[in-house]
This record gives sequence, structure tokens and C-alpha cells, in this order.
Amino acid sequence: MPMTDNSAGKTGAAPEGARARDRLALLTADNASVPLPAGVQAITAILLAVLLIALPWLGLGYRFLSIAITTLYTAIALYGLGLQFGQAGIMSVGHSALMGVGAYASAILSVQLGLGFWTSLPFAMALSAIVGGVIGPPTLRVGGQHYIIITFCFCALFVIVLTNGGTFTGSATGLDVGSVTPLPGINFDKLSNNYYLVLAALFLALAATYLIGNSRYGRKLRAIRENEQLARSVGINVDLHKLGVLMVSGLFAGLAGVLQLYYLRHISPTLFGAFPSLYLALMIMLGGARYLYGPLIGAVVVNFLPEVLNLDPVDSRIAYGVCLLLVILLLPGGVGAGIKNIYCAIAGESETQKQSGGSNGRA
Amino acid sequence: MAALEVRGLRKQFGGVVALNGIDLDIDTDQVVGIVGPNGSGKTTLFNVVTGVHLATGGTVSWQGQDITNIGAHRIARKRLVRTFQQAMSFPGLTVDENVRIAWEQGRRGDSRWASPGMILDFVGLAPLGRAIAGSLPFGSLRRLGLAVALGVSPELLLLDEPGAGLNDSEAQAFAAVIAQLPPQGIGVCLIDHDMDMMADLCGRLVVLDFGTKIAEGPPAEVLADPKVREVYLGPDKTAAAS
Repeated sequence: MPMTDNSAGKTGAAPEGARARDRLALLTADNASVPLPAGVQAITAILLAVLLIALPWLGLGYRFLSIAITTLYTAIALYGLGLQFGQAGIMSVGHSALMGVGAYASAILSVQLGLGFWTSLPFAMALSAIVGGVIGPPTLRVGGQHYIIITFCFCALFVIVLTNGGTFTGSATGLDVGSVTPLPGINFDKLSNNYYLVLAALFLALAATYLIGNSRYGRKLRAIRENEQLARSVGINVDLHKLGVLMVSGLFAGLAGVLQLYYLRHISPTLFGAFPSLYLALMIMLGGARYLYGPLIGAVVVNFLPEVLNLDPVDSRIAYGVCLLLVILLLPGGVGAGIKNIYCAIAGESETQKQSGGSNGRA
Repeated sequence: MAALEVRGLRKQFGGVVALNGIDLDIDTDQVVGIVGPNGSGKTTLFNVVTGVHLATGGTVSWQGQDITNIGAHRIARKRLVRTFQQAMSFPGLTVDENVRIAWEQGRRGDSRWASPGMILDFVGLAPLGRAIAGSLPFGSLRRLGLAVALGVSPELLLLDEPGAGLNDSEAQAFAAVIAQLPPQGIGVCLIDHDMDMMADLCGRLVVLDFGTKIAEGPPAEVLADPKVREVYLGPDKTAAAS
């Protein structure tokens, strides 16, 4: 129309030295909001689903499958964190406390009222969501780093309350539960069946994340992350949605917590303290919070790294630190960003540029 | 009755009186310019009208409803939309997504745009749809700011220095787009320092000084007003000029 764009065309060949820098910039760029072709997204999803479903059949052993279950329920909590941090930009370093709320709610319902896995699950998820919402209002008052400190305090407080909860919370020893109530023909005492239970929940979490990411709701969250003032000025109720996303994130954490409880069959306060929380933060940053598979990648890396490299707990902490440094320096968007950038570089910018609108897929 | 009626609007920041009883009427078929020296309260007026700041006193009513202090997002949903002095966008998102977010907000009821793409066409950003907003050059960023505001399907658009930082040809192109808005039923109220552009665009100028309205009327009349000349040129120069 009437406006001339005298800034768009930057022509002229780039000097040789700049080319390497361009290539590095391409890898480190944050292109979470650039959509991938629908075909690529579909193929990635199918391959991943097949791999995850086939995993127990690959004969990798009991220990491997146990770590895989841990990885998957952790990833479910990370998908909640991915929504609140990756989409809405609200980071938490006390997220395992929300898992703990779900796990303890379910365990207490089991011990006190005899409710099983399926019946206590909705209550536990709802309670996690409510607690997520209750610690939310401080975000409306204080932003950024201040909220992060509040989440950390909440996490510490939660552990203190659990440790001093007497027989109700089992104090420092924690609580025990039975196994998951069997469905007709499926006994969850078998490890592979427990794996499939957690995997089904992960697929739900993935689907929810994908749908939210591509919805009007997801765009509102990203608008809030990018520019709160502008978001308000186009009519987005910023305060309501910040609170809302913390509750949605709490739902995911609650689900993960209950799955953790019924996999371990025993929980204690230290499972939900500062260290597990920091590991969740580490995983989401390693994997890439803004990318669809980022949380899963983060969970896989952190859970399997000590196993693959045969590290003891102290060494593995050092390894995590090194990984985090490398990611921050080289891949600020996380490993998910790196994979997407490599794909874009191979497929050629032109191909991704040609695709129009529609699905706003993230890696 | 005008669409936007501001009555006795006051805003105090501690002891500083930024707005001291402003009265203003704007209809949705007009271009009204607000001018005044730096610190005269122009942006504060926009901020209070659009709910970014709370009013200390006075009322703002829009289409017959009192909207004083009801919150920025509620005011935007009533299709009273503003842009910001600093070119604002959702920097990490694509241009498409920036406009789509606003468009989806404006779709409550009926939007004047069938798709976000129409808005990009209108402001001339269509070729840059897949660019990341934060990487846009400044001129395009200004246009994106306008596109986002237009996306909400405004009936009155408050533009805070839309031409700031643009070169002459860009500013002229921008003015041409703004001039197309009132015939489509989008009223415009704009703040700018470019007096030639304001005189061309605006049917009416409002002059603020120290939070008070000191003149209002057709541009030629207002700019000839000795009080306005004093504010803009300083008392000595006015004396020398006259």
C-alpha cells in the first residue's frame, strides 16, 4: 500500500569471515515462533510415538525401563513448567513442590480414605492447580526474579510442613501406597504396564501442550511473555491469564506427582525439595522451554546422562553444570532450539519461509 | 454527544500535577492532534484515558459509558485502542503472530478485518509476515505497532508520536495511512511534534501546557494564537516576531 519500505532490502555479499559467524548465529537463533511444515511435524510425532511405544520391547532391561518411567513422569511436570515458563515467561525453581502437592494429596487420600489411584487422581490434580494458583498472586505484584525466589521459598516451606506433619504426612519417613488399581486385563504391577500408563499420560501432556501452543490461548500467553503492556493494550487480561497458566501448570505437576507416587509406591519430603526443583529448572533450560519436544529432551538428557556416562551422583552434578554452561553459551534456546535450527539450516531457509501460516509448530 | 468525552481529568504523580482538569471531546470521524512542549502531559493524557495510569480525578466516558479507571484491557476491548511512544511489539514473535494476537482480541463481536493478512496489506508489511518482530528495522516496527493497534478493530485510535524516529519519506507515508482511517470509521487522536504534518492531517488541534489545555481549534487558528506561540517559541522570540 502507500508505504514504502526502504529498509527491507539489505543487499551485498557478506564478507567471508562473517559467514562462519552467520552459521553460528543460525544455530543459536531463537526461532520458536517460526512454524515448521506440517509434514515434518507429523513425521517427528509419529517416529517419536513409535519409539516410545516400542521401548519396553527392545530388551533394554529392567533398570533402563525404570529410568525411562522416571524420565517420562518428570517430563509431564516439565510440560506444565514449559507452559508457564516457555509460553507465559514465568519461571519457577520450586516446581517439584507442586508435584509434591499432587503426590501427597493422593497418598493422604489413600491412607486416610482408602481412595485408589484413579479416584484420587482428579482431586490431587485439582489441589496442585489450586496451590499453583494460590502462590500465583505474588507474580501479579512482583515480576521476574522476585517470583522465582518466592517459588523457592514455597518449596522449602513445603518440605518443612511435610517433615513436621506427624502421621498425617508421615513426617520425614513419608507415606506408602499400594499399587495402581488394575484395569480389566491390565495389572500395573508389571513394570512395562506401569511404563505404558505413564506414557499415556505423557502423550496427553504433549497433546495438550501442542494444542495450547497453537491456540488463541497460547498466543495470549506468548503475548504476555513478550510484552505485558502491549498485551494489555490489545485487550488481554494479563493478570487473569498469568494466574490461569500457573493453575494449568499445577494440573500437569499434580498428574506427574501422582504417577511418581504410584511408581515409587513410597514418597518422602526430600523428593520434592530444593534439589529436585532445581533439576526440573535445569531440565527445562537444557531442553528448551519454548519447543514442543524441549521438556522431553531435557528430561531424557538429565535422567540418562549419569547412566550413559556411568557417573556417580557427585560427578553427575558437575556434568549437569557443564551441560548447562554449554547450553547457555551455545544454545540459549535449549537443545530443542538447536535441533530445530539444524533442521532449518539443512532444509534451507527458503523451504521453511515458503510455508504459510496455519500450524505454528515449535520444533 | 461525542464518542470520547473527557471531563475535568486530573492526574497527580506525588506533588507533580501532570494533568490539571482536561476537557476533551473526540468523535470517530475526526483526526484530532494533541501538541504541546515536552512534559506538558500529552502522553499522560493517553495513559490515563486508556487505563495505563489511574486518574486522580475527573471522568472519561466512551460511547456513553464511564470508563474511568476500569483497566487497560477492558478499555481496549471497547475498541478504544492506543499505540506507544516507544515502538512496541511482541519482539520474539513473527510479524504474522503479532498481528494475529491483536486480531483475535478484536474479533469479539465483529472485526473490520476478515483476516490478519488484510491488516498487514493495509500497512504495507505483508512481505515481512514471517520475520521476527524484534529484528525489524525501525520504520517497519512503527508500522507493526500501528498494525497491532488496528488489529483490535478500533473505533478510536490514540497514536502517541507515530512519526517519531522516522525519516521524512517514511513519516509522509505514515501520514498517508493515517489519513485513510477516518473515512473507514476509525477516529484518530494523535500526538506529534511535526507541526506541518499535524496541520495537514488534523481537523482540530489541542494544545497542552503544564497539564492544562491552553488552546483548541482548527490548526491555522491555533498556531496563530499568541499564547501557543509563546509556549512554543518562548516569550522573547514572540515579542521579537510580532
